[in-house]
Amino acid sequence: MFHITAAFFFVGGSVAAGILNTLAIRAERPSETAALLRLVRVTLPVIFVGVFGTLVFGIWLWHERGYSLGAGWIWASLVLWVVANALGGIGGRHQERARELAERLAAEGDVPNDELKGILADPKGNAVSWLAGLATLAILVLMIWKP
Amino acid sequence: MTLLAYSRPFWPLFLHVLGAMLLFGATLAAFVAAAAGYGRAAFRSLLLAVPFWILMLGAGTWLNSDADGVWNGQTWLQLGMNIAGPGVLALLVAIGTAYWWTRSGNVRAARICTGITGVYILLLAVAWLAMSGKWG
Repeated sequence: MFHITAAFFFVGGSVAAGILNTLAIRAERPSETAALLRLVRVTLPVIFVGVFGTLVFGIWLWHERGYSLGAGWIWASLVLWVVANALGGIGGRHQERARELAERLAAEGDVPNDELKGILADPKGNAVSWLAGLATLAILVLMIWKP
Repeated sequence: MTLLAYSRPFWPLFLHVLGAMLLFGATLAAFVAAAAGYGRAAFRSLLLAVPFWILMLGAGTWLNSDADGVWNGQTWLQLGMNIAGPGVLALLVAIGTAYWWTRSGNVRAARICTGITGVYILLLAVAWLAMSGKWG
């Protein structure tokens, strides 16, 4: 139950951050973009509780349920957990850069410029966040499928 | 993926859990936006929650029909079904008040929207705790 609750926090918090980030990208004014990207930071404690909870309660369950130490799906999930967090961190830094620029533009007349549009539409920056989401989805597949 | 496609019990459970997690995420985004005073973002997030609710409920119904009534009468199932079914009224009222808020800028609409969205998050938490812990 605790492991699943942590998973809800991990996935749900990431989805909330993703939705707010998408709304920030589509916002017309830099002030709105900055405000929505600031809200992404509110979801971070939820994600962090989920990230650490899934690991701690997951390892506890591994022992409790007596799964073998060589269970490939658990090791694969652990690798994906590291990958998802690393990519999520990189994506977060990209969002921070966009937020700082949006806040500066908001204070200077609230008109978007090419630099902000470029950061918000940067395919590499956004691809990293999507890949983090895919890694999280793959963990969910492994946890339910238990191949 | 081919193996996955042929392991029928996987799909309803996976889609049910995925739908529930996405629904929680969209509602959380709406709550965060509403609490911070961003009605349009709250309204859009709540609208996005609707297809996730359909996925969660549809896959849950599929899962239950596959179980051939084995779980009938269980407390955790009743709780989950009541929150997934009639509980959607809270989501619909939240969408309605968020729309009212974006159209009028009314402070009361903002407060009602934030409150109901918060209550809906709590209901979802009760549902996932009951279903994962098999209460009763």
